[in-house]
Amino acid sequence: MEPFFRSLLAGALALGATVANANDIGPLVTTEWLESNLQNPEVRLIEVSVNPGVYERGHIPGATNVVWHTDLVDPVRRDIASKEQLEGLLRNAGVNQDSTVILYGDTNNWFAAWGAWVLDVYGVENVALLDGGRKLWEAEGRPLATSPAALAAGNIALKEANTDLRALLPDVVAAVDAGDHVIVDIRSPDEFSGKVIAPEGFKETAIRAGHVSGAVNVPWGKAVQEDGRFRSPEELKALYAEAGVDGSKPVITYCRIGERSSHTWYALKKILGYDVRNYDGSWTEYGNAVGVPVTNLAGTVWTGQ
Amino acid sequence: MTFNRILPAAVFLGALIVLFLALPARDPLGRPLPVALALGAAFGIVLQRSRFCFWCNAADWFRDRNPSGLIAILAALAAGAVGHWVIAGAWLPDPSTGRLPPDAHIGPVSLTLAAGAFVFGLGMAVSGSCISAHFYRLGEGAYGSVIALAGAAVGFVLGFLSWNWLWLNDVISARVIWLPAFLGHDGALALTLALIGALWLILRQRGAGASTPAGRWPGVLGGVLIGFIATLAWFRIGPLGVTAELGSLSRTAAVDLGLLPDTLLGLDGLRGCATVVKEALLSRNGVFVVGLVLGAAAAAHAAGDWKPAFPAVRDVPRLFLGGVMLGWGAMVALGCTVGVILSGIMVGALSGWVFAVACLAGAWTGWRLRAVRQSV
Repeated sequence: MEPFFRSLLAGALALGATVANANDIGPLVTTEWLESNLQNPEVRLIEVSVNPGVYERGHIPGATNVVWHTDLVDPVRRDIASKEQLEGLLRNAGVNQDSTVILYGDTNNWFAAWGAWVLDVYGVENVALLDGGRKLWEAEGRPLATSPAALAAGNIALKEANTDLRALLPDVVAAVDAGDHVIVDIRSPDEFSGKVIAPEGFKETAIRAGHVSGAVNVPWGKAVQEDGRFRSPEELKALYAEAGVDGSKPVITYCRIGERSSHTWYALKKILGYDVRNYDGSWTEYGNAVGVPVTNLAGTVWTGQ
Repeated sequence: MTFNRILPAAVFLGALIVLFLALPARDPLGRPLPVALALGAAFGIVLQRSRFCFWCNAADWFRDRNPSGLIAILAALAAGAVGHWVIAGAWLPDPSTGRLPPDAHIGPVSLTLAAGAFVFGLGMAVSGSCISAHFYRLGEGAYGSVIALAGAAVGFVLGFLSWNWLWLNDVISARVIWLPAFLGHDGALALTLALIGALWLILRQRGAGASTPAGRWPGVLGGVLIGFIATLAWFRIGPLGVTAELGSLSRTAAVDLGLLPDTLLGLDGLRGCATVVKEALLSRNGVFVVGLVLGAAAAAHAAGDWKPAFPAVRDVPRLFLGGVMLGWGAMVALGCTVGVILSGIMVGALSGWVFAVACLAGAWTGWRLRAVRQSV
């Protein structure tokens, strides 16, 4: 066979194989899979990093930059991005109705996981996280690019926000009262116990210490391995079962501002398939709310300092 | 070149190499620290070899109408503007979206900026250098610069103490103006280069004969190299600047001593030489400045410019006071001649031009005051 036709055929086969993969990739993709699918037109790659200048100084080739503080939230009202805002954002990133969207980012994929949660609320299908995020991609010495991708506008149309996927403050209070949910607090043990109200250095804080009454504490980091990848589904299942999260009751996850809890939401909902809602108001709302049930094991009293 | 020049130059070069190999590969933001050291060393070598000192350059003009120093600054701005245009066009293809390119020094245009730059210019005249030149002079053995830099640290603390009032009464309502947002990348570069070209022509026409100090690199060469280093720095590390680490050290010390208010309003959200409370021992700006001083020391020794000199006792108050002015000005203006004039103008920030004009006015005022004092 002529070399030209041979390579054409090989290319067609490879494309066919990867496209078939892209439609059924599960909740996580490996760095290896992503590198071999960088040219795959079905795949749209989005970086959600929270540190400024990270994307620009080197991102996975073909990725579009999404800025968490302005793109995925409403910058005025405390809320997730509106349907119109997010739809425009995804179309600019070249996302079509049948695209496979891969999200990744810095700080352990926290904000990428937030992005996956927001996409879930608006009914976007075929979304996966790059397991290990930026950190693993860089650690493995894989290539980076510094120019943003120029992609033709996509045609994705979002559904109305599905409020069943999101827990609001009254839902959390009702869940505490009824005792029919498992509430997972993924913050550090010191925040959970009330020894500290927020970790060192964070200004967004609360005027009460402790946790949502009845919540169990499974710090988010227990769900990941040393290199930043999620633990295996079996390990995750055992880890959460130990804390009483076994899928028999619906779950609510929360943290301080809702981004790290998106990471645990992803593990429980997308990897283990449990019924999970993320409470994005989290402790910065709950710890400031009036008249809600709080458990403060350490007894720390807020003194205005 | 004699042995007693080569040996100390080699020692400083060796120190740079050891540090380069010993530094952690990345800072907490993922920026490569060894690259920061290397670029700092290159910056120090070029500053020292071409005597790229904002005060000396301005004073050459005030005294003799010798334009070569100011033309060197224009050359740096032109070369850097082209480099920043290449990068900004790649990082932010559409500049009209309201976003700013990452960590570029595009500050609010305010009275505070102008006042800070004016006082900084005065401080240059009083202490005999801007902050970057005090750093490279350390490498030449000018121990008086230590006193000026200590003064600058105190000036930073005074800046922090005045910050909340300045923020509430002025800076909060100031606008951040990035020329490419209005003119596009190409239009902003064209305007910047046109302004630089016009100033260049004026200097050439009004100036007396241009001359480079003996034994130094031509100013234009130094300027173009600085534009190149600034471009590389923005690409890999962050915009060129020399005050962030000094400001951070002052702020951290002042916080520890309980001198500062609990909150410095809005400060950490602004673009410029960030002066955050220190969390990591090694910051990219600290490493850059260490590289600068060591590079300048190696260059000074190799070239025979190493002239250790202790300041006269009667000069100590002047050096310290000038340093205080430099520190206060650099704090409230969010950077100095390097961080605001160079990095700001190169990237298309109006704040860079405002700083340049006010700083020059301050330097000229300082020049006049010194002249009056000497004639009395």
